[in-house]
Amino acid sequence: MAAARPIGDAPEPSRRAVLAVRAGVAAACLVVWEAISQSGLFFGDVVPSTMKILASFWKLATFDGFWTHLAVTAGEVVASVAIGSVAGVICGIAIGAEPFLRRAYEPILHYLSPTPRIILFPVMIMWFGIGPESKVALGALSAFFPAALSTSAGMLLIDQALIRVGRSFRATRWQMATKIYLPAMRAPVLNGVRLGFGLAIIGVLLAETKLSNKGLGFLVMQFYSRFDMPTLYALLIVLFAMAGIFNALIGAMARERR
Amino acid sequence: MASPSDTRPGTSGDEPLLVVDNVYKRFGEGADATIAVDHMSFGVKPGEFVSVIGPSGCGKSTLFNIIGGLLGEYEGEVRIGSERIMGPHPAVGMVFQEESTFPWRTVIDNVAFPLELRGAPKSERLDKAHHFIDLVGLANFEKRYPSQLSGGMRQRVSIARTLVSEPRILLMDEPFAALDEQTRLLLGDKILQIQQQLHQTTLLITHNLTEAVQLSDRIVVMTYRPGRLKRIVNIDLPRPRTSEVVGSDAFGHYVAEIWSDLREEASRGMLDAEASVARRGARG
Amino acid sequence: MADRGGLPRLLAQRWFAPTFGLATIVAVFAVVEALLRADLLNRYILPFPSDVVLALGRVVTEENILSRMGDTAFEVLASGVLVVLVGVPAGALFHRFPVIRAALETWVAALAAAPVVLAFPLFLVLFGRGQKTIIVISFVYGVAPVLLKTLEGLSATRPVLINVGRSLNMTSSQMFWKILFPSAIPSIFTGIRLSWTFCLVTVVAVEFLVNLGGLGQLINDLAERYDLPGTYAGITFVILLSVAFFIVLERVENWLQPAP
Repeated sequence: MAAARPIGDAPEPSRRAVLAVRAGVAAACLVVWEAISQSGLFFGDVVPSTMKILASFWKLATFDGFWTHLAVTAGEVVASVAIGSVAGVICGIAIGAEPFLRRAYEPILHYLSPTPRIILFPVMIMWFGIGPESKVALGALSAFFPAALSTSAGMLLIDQALIRVGRSFRATRWQMATKIYLPAMRAPVLNGVRLGFGLAIIGVLLAETKLSNKGLGFLVMQFYSRFDMPTLYALLIVLFAMAGIFNALIGAMARERR
Repeated sequence: MASPSDTRPGTSGDEPLLVVDNVYKRFGEGADATIAVDHMSFGVKPGEFVSVIGPSGCGKSTLFNIIGGLLGEYEGEVRIGSERIMGPHPAVGMVFQEESTFPWRTVIDNVAFPLELRGAPKSERLDKAHHFIDLVGLANFEKRYPSQLSGGMRQRVSIARTLVSEPRILLMDEPFAALDEQTRLLLGDKILQIQQQLHQTTLLITHNLTEAVQLSDRIVVMTYRPGRLKRIVNIDLPRPRTSEVVGSDAFGHYVAEIWSDLREEASRGMLDAEASVARRGARG
Repeated sequence: MADRGGLPRLLAQRWFAPTFGLATIVAVFAVVEALLRADLLNRYILPFPSDVVLALGRVVTEENILSRMGDTAFEVLASGVLVVLVGVPAGALFHRFPVIRAALETWVAALAAAPVVLAFPLFLVLFGRGQKTIIVISFVYGVAPVLLKTLEGLSATRPVLINVGRSLNMTSSQMFWKILFPSAIPSIFTGIRLSWTFCLVTVVAVEFLVNLGGLGQLINDLAERYDLPGTYAGITFVILLSVAFFIVLERVENWLQPAP
């Protein structure tokens, strides 16, 4: 009994056991949540019952202007990912293609990349005003770094054998770029865009919570200031679900056929 | 010499198609310099299958890269006909040792790649690719991706991709190095069969003795550092051959003969490797 | 280019490229300064870089910087320690019980990718406006990478080492402490570096958003005072400080990697 479990060749856990654990954990969370909600330990609606949260989804969907706010935020996120990714991929290719530029600028990008982005928001407001433009600027800046770093790293990782195949068939520069470099870099580029997308969502929404008059971040602060907790929960669940779905979609695109 | 049924365009007498003439290549300067290829000369005649064999680290791959035109700066000459090779030449088709199929293309798209570069019309691309996929025995796998194939199948895709460009000289660098012995022998059969169908002039770089004797008309034996030509052995085994030839007495005789040459070189290589490990250990 | 070969030799120097990179940043600032002086850029949204450098001294001396850094450092450290105390054992648990792993690993990965900071108003309501809230958000955000990297490191133990342990009849706990855990340490520290990076960013962001103590609030304060060079100087200061933090984390991580 005390003998070492054969970790290397432990049998795959059965499908039923896995589902049971998942259901158990989910049920336990719900029960604890309901218990806290009913116990009155927290004030009022701070921990609303699950039923109340479920009901709030409908309230949210029919909330005056919800879909407009959603459209504003979606537009900001898409614009910032587009701007940030395109700029990032171009910079990444430039840095990745030339060893000197890589040594000069990659460390700078690498260390600036994880620094807190939101603190630049006051500057963005000065430059672009309090409208959607400043949110797009912050989101684009967030999306830029992962795209640039992932692209330049991807260029280093291209299988040299494939480049030699291209050269041995005497591919032109353009053919090398379109038929070898681009397809070989699809996964790292898309992965950079995926990471950038996640950061852009955060950048845009945090900026909206800080200072704005439209968008889902603005809506979050409205529900917060009205102390409409069930709807706030519902809205956050919607936001997390959307972020998760897009993250998974781009991830699947990057993995496809590999 | 060759069996009477052999109708390949003359194995003797013709002018060589590929000439390696006094080729010399050194890496590095001064005390650190390594002479990878030291004044090697030999030729490959049309329709002939020649192997270059030598121990690991003897400069075989350098020679491969020079002939393939991927290594521009060298002394001496490599000629196709009377033309000196300055860069990748359309008459030379290369098959690499490493995994080199495009993971984002299906088998048929991989094989059609050289035709695509040339701008051939789609119908021609598909027809030719189909033909060569059939030839390497992968007819049922055209729509698969490389990740869905075995290592041996992927290497056959690489070979088909090179053959589709209809090179006058097929140049292969240890194409079966990553495969197990049985697969290697069976793929050798495939190569022999293709060779007999296409009368493909081939230069194979290898360190595998069995493979070299099984496939070749002549074997060029290289020394270990500097990489010199030790000798050239004619293999007078009958054609058409299959891997069954491996069991014959004549085969064993050739293997023993070449091994006696190679053994000395290989053991020098091994001592060298051990010495460099010892030096590294002493330093750090 | 007095002597031939001088430039290539300079380009090949190890220090030259990074210095060149930093020099371009300085050059950009010089150009901005010149454009501002020539009135080609708007002075009301962009301060003179030279003023920002001067303001840097003022921000450091006049804005209670030490106590702010102390607040931020405490929050990062508290959440960082919690993350390790929870993440590493949880990772070991996931490794020990494959059922738990199969059931919950994707959930934890989803948590790692989820924009948890967006829920900060929720945490404010649940835990009040204070350092506790910031620490909790930072913890929730940072725990997943440590857990996942611990799990990854334990699972990546080479099977032959495990067989060595089995051949010596080691008990489960000997197996864990003498084989699995030591071989997972480099991976665990990668997880810790990732997590602590998240923690710092989250702490500063929340401080800024809810105007609550620390370095994030510093920028808020300066911006609300319309102190233009001060705001830029504050941002620069926080960015430099976080870069220094990341460099230290990376050094420690590299130092812990097994020698090549």
